[in-house]
Amino acid sequence: MTDKPDIATLIHDARKPLNHISMHAELIKILSQKPGSEAEIQQSAEDIIKASKACSELLQTLMTQD
Amino acid sequence: MKTVLLVDDDHEFTTIAARIIEFIGCDVYTAGSIGEAKQWLADMRFDHLFLDFMLPDGSGLHLIDHIRSLKLTAQITLITGHPSVKAALASMCDEQINYLTKPIEADDVKRVLNTKTATHHAQSDPFERHFGCLIGHSPAMKKLVTMIERVAKTNANVLLMGESGSGKEVVAQAIHNASQCSGEQVSVNCGAIAKDLIGSELFGHEKGAFTGAINQKKGVFELAQNGTLFLDEVTEMPIEMQPNLLRALETQTITRVGGAKPIEVNCRVVSATNRTLAEIAQKNVLREDIYFRLAVFPIEIPPLRARPQDIPLLSEFFVHQLNDEYKTQYQLTEQAHTVLSAHSWPGNIRELKHCIHRAFIMADPDTTTLTIDEIVSSPFASAQASDNQVPPRAPATSATTPSAPVKVGETIEEVERKLIYQTLESVDGNKTLAAKMLGISTKTLYNRLNAYEQSTPEETK
Repeated sequence: MTDKPDIATLIHDARKPLNHISMHAELIKILSQKPGSEAEIQQSAEDIIKASKACSELLQTLMTQD
Repeated sequence: MKTVLLVDDDHEFTTIAARIIEFIGCDVYTAGSIGEAKQWLADMRFDHLFLDFMLPDGSGLHLIDHIRSLKLTAQITLITGHPSVKAALASMCDEQINYLTKPIEADDVKRVLNTKTATHHAQSDPFERHFGCLIGHSPAMKKLVTMIERVAKTNANVLLMGESGSGKEVVAQAIHNASQCSGEQVSVNCGAIAKDLIGSELFGHEKGAFTGAINQKKGVFELAQNGTLFLDEVTEMPIEMQPNLLRALETQTITRVGGAKPIEVNCRVVSATNRTLAEIAQKNVLREDIYFRLAVFPIEIPPLRARPQDIPLLSEFFVHQLNDEYKTQYQLTEQAHTVLSAHSWPGNIRELKHCIHRAFIMADPDTTTLTIDEIVSSPFASAQASDNQVPPRAPATSATTPSAPVKVGETIEEVERKLIYQTLESVDGNKTLAAKMLGISTKTLYNRLNAYEQSTPEETK
């Protein structure tokens, strides 16, 4: 019974970086149509990598919960 | 441009979302809590709010309560990262509120921002609006509404014809609102663009296409993709530019200035002119082939004098708008309605709005009544009326040579009455102009007409 809230919290926490990844990808799609947006695209790509790592770590925590 | 407030405590989310919403063409402000959002709402007026469900200092619902207590009309989109609460959110949605689940996509944002607020006005004001913007219940207006309903179901291009101030842009908006298109309405005034820039404005340009073209730019045809393109004053477009427009209309493809690639476009073109059909043909302001492409479904918008039943309603509406804006409680008196209904409004709805605004400014701040003693006609409308209406009729019904001869034994009062009615007839009932021609004040003319109506009502009818 006590595990369930923890799993729910972990899922919630994992969703956050996943949302960021998705929205950065959306932003890159828009920026790729705008000339001169290379720096911003680069930044978004880096943020995607950072969010992916955060998500991976959270999933690892989820594994250890079981 | 819509002004948007984005309320979410996830700073990274608000940063990315704000950027996406900016690209859609909105002005975006962000808040991380309910308290911060309340501060923004106190200082600024927003068209749309994106609101996280769970915030550090309370629920998004608290902010909705606050918005409703302020009677703000902003659209609200609730955002949640929990798909499990989707059903609960859906149950709260109404005309003002909808929801999105994270991650949000640009298309989702566009969809909620373009939510048509046709029925939304009914909540905030008591005026029934056809298609969210047209006001009136006269037979002429009902006929117009039917025509809009019919044409909205098709993709046909529409040419709106009507006098200046008769509401062509509002009718264009009504057609857009009534149609099932997913795109936006984009308006351009063809008479206001420099001749050299028309191509770029309509079809866009590529970077470096001409001096000053420092970036690529989309034209109005592309911006109105899957929506409505409103070409106002289309007959003022230089005739030598019209073949380019014809090509776009015929092939439904455009090529940006300086570009080589044809781009497919799909939009309904609603164009407008204040010229009559005869004038269009005689003065050679529109090519015949363009006319047939633009006027697949021509709509004649009636002047205000052809729908006098709508004058009281429109007057009340303009007063309501001003009361709303200035937080006042003015109401038109019976006398004001009588004066307004008696005027012929050569400047149409625009002139009526101007007249109400003037009366509102002049209103006694110690009362809540709005009186109108005399209508100050637009000098342009009077000039137009003099140019257009008086000369053709003057020979037959000149003020100095009444068509009905004066009989010996008639009283001066009878002769005067004849003269007044004949003068009024010669200027299509324009009382301001008639009074000017008769050399009396408009007030005197009204007094005379009221006296005649009271003495011999049957005859005056």
